[in-house]
Amino acid sequence: MRLMRTSEIAKRPVVTMAGEDVAQIKDIVYAADGGSVGGFTLAGRGLFSGPRKEGLAWESVAALGADAVMISDESALEPVGAVVDKSRGAASGAGDVLGSQVLTDDGVALGTVHDVVVSVGESAGSQCDVVGYEVESSENLGTQGELVLIPLPDTIAASGEHLMVPRSVKEFVSRDLAGFGAAVDTFRAQLNGPS
Amino acid sequence: MMFSAATGHKVVSSSDASTVGKVKGFVVDPASRSVVAIRLKKTDSGDTLRWSDLTAFGADAVTVTGADLIGEPDESVAALTDKDHKVLGKRVLTSAGDELGSVKDVDFDPDSGSVLALVLKDSADVAGSRLLGVGSYAVVVRAES
Repeated sequence: MRLMRTSEIAKRPVVTMAGEDVAQIKDIVYAADGGSVGGFTLAGRGLFSGPRKEGLAWESVAALGADAVMISDESALEPVGAVVDKSRGAASGAGDVLGSQVLTDDGVALGTVHDVVVSVGESAGSQCDVVGYEVESSENLGTQGELVLIPLPDTIAASGEHLMVPRSVKEFVSRDLAGFGAAVDTFRAQLNGPS
Repeated sequence: MMFSAATGHKVVSSSDASTVGKVKGFVVDPASRSVVAIRLKKTDSGDTLRWSDLTAFGADAVTVTGADLIGEPDESVAALTDKDHKVLGKRVLTSAGDELGSVKDVDFDPDSGSVLALVLKDSADVAGSRLLGVGSYAVVVRAES
């Protein structure tokens, strides 16, 4: 499992196994519940190429790596409308989440969302799960103004204005991605645990 | 043998012992993971020599039965000779989407033409058996699991 910020995924080339770069990532399309990545909208390669009519559904992605999004061949692309329909609802999800205020269920504002962190499994066919947000922290975290990572439960209530998280996330704040995977696992285990 | 060491080899005709060409480059077919043709400095009859037409790729020279084997690339070879299919200097991506570096040299088997390994700049060699594709953007190799 590896973690990455979605801002780092944008502009990444989409490359076939034959070594051709057929497009690049424009935006991330979130699944309806916002808990995973449903696919991507695409732009052409090169400085002056605009958005493409094709999109890329997550099921058609062979691998999401540090330097490229791999697909088997160009047939993995499909009309962008189909990709959005499949993930239904949240085509503008990324835009909505960024800048939203993160509130704990006991009414404490932790900060505003700066970036979204996803985890990608090593095996093909595994979900691209949204596991956390990078947040510009408020004074309530004691790190005001700094960017910190907070883990998310499997599902989350979001209005476009606020995101509700359990108050216990405060114990699992990380400074960098290195230790964040463990923080997410522990946090989720605690939420799903018997207590 | 490395591409770098093999480039510049003379091509000698075994029928009259004359030099009929000089090795300039290699045409690699990613599907068979092997060298399918040799590119020569331009001669009167053409610049391409099919691997299957070689008598031997020796340590010091390439031998052929005659200069008549040198010709223009046929369709299947021509499709692999443009710069989109060049291996040397190209970035290397794994099937997991991670960049490993760029290709500095290629080690090949002079008997069979098989690609034995890609020698990368600033990174460990990649076995030829991992080669998946060669395109305009990158050489794609199977990710190590």
